[in-house]
Amino acid sequence: MAESKPARIIFHIDMNSFYASVEMRHHPEWRGKPLAIAGRPEERRGIIVTASYEARKKGVKATMPVWQAKRLCPELIVQTPNFDLYKKASQQLFQLLRTYTPYVEKVSIDEGYMDVTTIKAGMHPVRLAQTIQTRVKTELELPSSIGIAPNKFLAKMASDMKKPMGITILRKRDLATKLWPLAIQEMHGVGKKTAEKLKALKIYTIGDLAHFDKKRLESMLGVYGGKLHERANGIDDRPVDPEAEAVHKSISQSTTLPEDIASVNEAKDVFLTLSQRLSKKLKDHNVCAYQIAITIRYHDWQTVNRSKTMKSAVYLSQDIFEMAMFLFNENWDGRPVRLLGISANALEDAAFRTKQLDLFTYAEDAKDEPLLETIQQLEEKFGTSVVQKGMRGFASQKEHKGRSSNDKSTF
Amino acid sequence: MADAIHSMAVEEGLAMKVIVAKDKLVACTNDVMRAVSSKTTISILTGIKITATSGGLTLTGSDSDITIQAFIPTEENGIENIQIIKPGSIVLQARYFADIVKKLPDDTVTIEVDSRLMTRIQSGHSEFNLNGMDADEYPRLPVLREENTLSIRKDLLKQIIRQTVYAVSTSENRPILTGANWVFENKTLKCVATDSHRLARRTVTMDVEENHTITNLVIPGKSLNELGKILDDRDQDVVEMIATDNQVLFKTDHIQFYSRLLEGKYPETEGLIPNDVKTEVVLKTKDLLQAIDRASLLARDERNNLVKLKTVDQSSLEILSQSPEVGRVYENVPANKISGEELRISFSAKYMMDALNRIDSEELIIQFTGAMKPFILKPVDDPDLLMLILPVRTN
Repeated sequence: MAESKPARIIFHIDMNSFYASVEMRHHPEWRGKPLAIAGRPEERRGIIVTASYEARKKGVKATMPVWQAKRLCPELIVQTPNFDLYKKASQQLFQLLRTYTPYVEKVSIDEGYMDVTTIKAGMHPVRLAQTIQTRVKTELELPSSIGIAPNKFLAKMASDMKKPMGITILRKRDLATKLWPLAIQEMHGVGKKTAEKLKALKIYTIGDLAHFDKKRLESMLGVYGGKLHERANGIDDRPVDPEAEAVHKSISQSTTLPEDIASVNEAKDVFLTLSQRLSKKLKDHNVCAYQIAITIRYHDWQTVNRSKTMKSAVYLSQDIFEMAMFLFNENWDGRPVRLLGISANALEDAAFRTKQLDLFTYAEDAKDEPLLETIQQLEEKFGTSVVQKGMRGFASQKEHKGRSSNDKSTF
Repeated sequence: MADAIHSMAVEEGLAMKVIVAKDKLVACTNDVMRAVSSKTTISILTGIKITATSGGLTLTGSDSDITIQAFIPTEENGIENIQIIKPGSIVLQARYFADIVKKLPDDTVTIEVDSRLMTRIQSGHSEFNLNGMDADEYPRLPVLREENTLSIRKDLLKQIIRQTVYAVSTSENRPILTGANWVFENKTLKCVATDSHRLARRTVTMDVEENHTITNLVIPGKSLNELGKILDDRDQDVVEMIATDNQVLFKTDHIQFYSRLLEGKYPETEGLIPNDVKTEVVLKTKDLLQAIDRASLLARDERNNLVKLKTVDQSSLEILSQSPEVGRVYENVPANKISGEELRISFSAKYMMDALNRIDSEELIIQFTGAMKPFILKPVDDPDLLMLILPVRTN
């Protein structure tokens, strides 16, 4: 079907180390210097969120603790995230992109798709990409990479191929040379778990996937397997949807019950499952919700929706479940229920999540601080090998202690 | 014919008749109206009960949680307020009665009830006839024994209410937190309110007898707010307080204010108030209040109602607030003294202002115990008041 339509031209614009780039724009004196964005850098236990290319060259990576990064790169400038600044820069970026076409789909704060098929002017797509990239660089002082392809999947893969300030074209005829040699976990849409499943089928590269039997893949991985197979073969007819972001303003889960239920306990079981599913969806989309709503549909199809807005955003299934049960207990009139649903509204990017601490539970949050501090102190004494979670870390620490008697003086 | 029967009934069956000073009646009606709710499901409670006895006129309003009774004595300081012609009682639609009384033309009002509960309200040339309801259907007030009485200064009671009740919860998630906890112990009264995001605690020294039976009450925040509004300067300086297991009564000469108590155990909060101070700031209450007030101009909606506070050196703080859509505000606030560790903390501007607005002392001590732990606000010259706010975790 996709083939019968005229060929599309899709851009995927991906900002290069976005947070760091925005910071540099505000601090021109940092330009060309290694910079990292990290939580609480003054306390040393912060974790690096993103690093400039100058810092990456020295081995500084995301999720690395600040002290370790400083060891690799002593002149590293470390800055706390200023999300409001990044949000603003993101708005400017998408405003600029929308001057070319209304078909701009924002995927996240620092990446988006454009469908430029219908842009008249007769400009060559590469020239257009160059113009956009240059304008983003000169007007917003932000580096980006652009992927040009006949669909979203290939454009996304292309933008990843050359960074920073790259422009990469990925045509269908380039698949065998540019896409198929890539390892399967490099494929957009293949997470850790899917990669494991595919490797079990001896699929190690995107090429392996493209040549695998589609039916068999579908039977193993479901509909999603079929989609991945199509994408590996360069087929993806998802449109660039300017409304896609708005869709994320609410995520919901509901279920029509095989039999009407009439007790709180039965409802509890249903809400428990729905909460877990909803929580997973929120995590997948990297968002949290400031409002939880429930739907109760009675046996006579009368439908009731009730919601509650919270001061702190939720995303954990336990919190969603509690809120749903509270709403259910407040609003259920005791009649048999045919359908139950929960929806998460007033969504916010998980990065901007704030939590109003609670007098009766703050100790839980406060715990995070000294625990991280202790790990850090251990690390400083024993080196990075100790920083492992759970029993493994514990065991290796004991081992270390036993073997190196020379180190006793450090205890 | 019908009219003749009607007027005969009025003549013969007079159930109650009083002549009352209008200003007194208006004031007392306003007081009891505070308890009347239009949302009540008990129809008799949409009315005000009016009872005339030889001693005076009593008005009662109630929403079954709060009941307010206001009394107008027949004679006060040698001035006659009321003429009781026939003692009796009636319940009249509160909304209509309150509006009517307010607008009557003359200085005196005659209220006359016949045996069919038809009530004539007459003042000057104006006459209203209202259908009354049977006073026997009106719920009876709880009888509270006078021996468990405590006296509390009215200005102090008003201050306690102002400085604590703002912190009660407005959410029914944990119903007990919609009340304030009053604990009588070792000749002190300790009042605590918390919605779990902030807490207020006020202690007062009191003359409580050792064998006193009232020790621990949870009074609904809504009741205390209404009580605070009704206590005015009309009366004597002391309020009598009487409590049972499920009711509390606050009493002045002309007002009796009953409230239902909340059932259940109020959570222990003393242990949750941290005492390991890491950073201490002493500054002018007004300076901080005004800075937060300005900072919150950009952070109006509840979700983003955040300000950040940062210590700069030993004598100044930074207050910062930003809203992605609007912009940002930055302000330096001078402090008398800052000691201890450096600090950065985020909190709700609203919670901070709610607390600061209720601290009368010119200077204030803020004790921080960590970025994810509660911080404490105390007036410099008043050890009896403590306010606590939980910060907001931002990453």
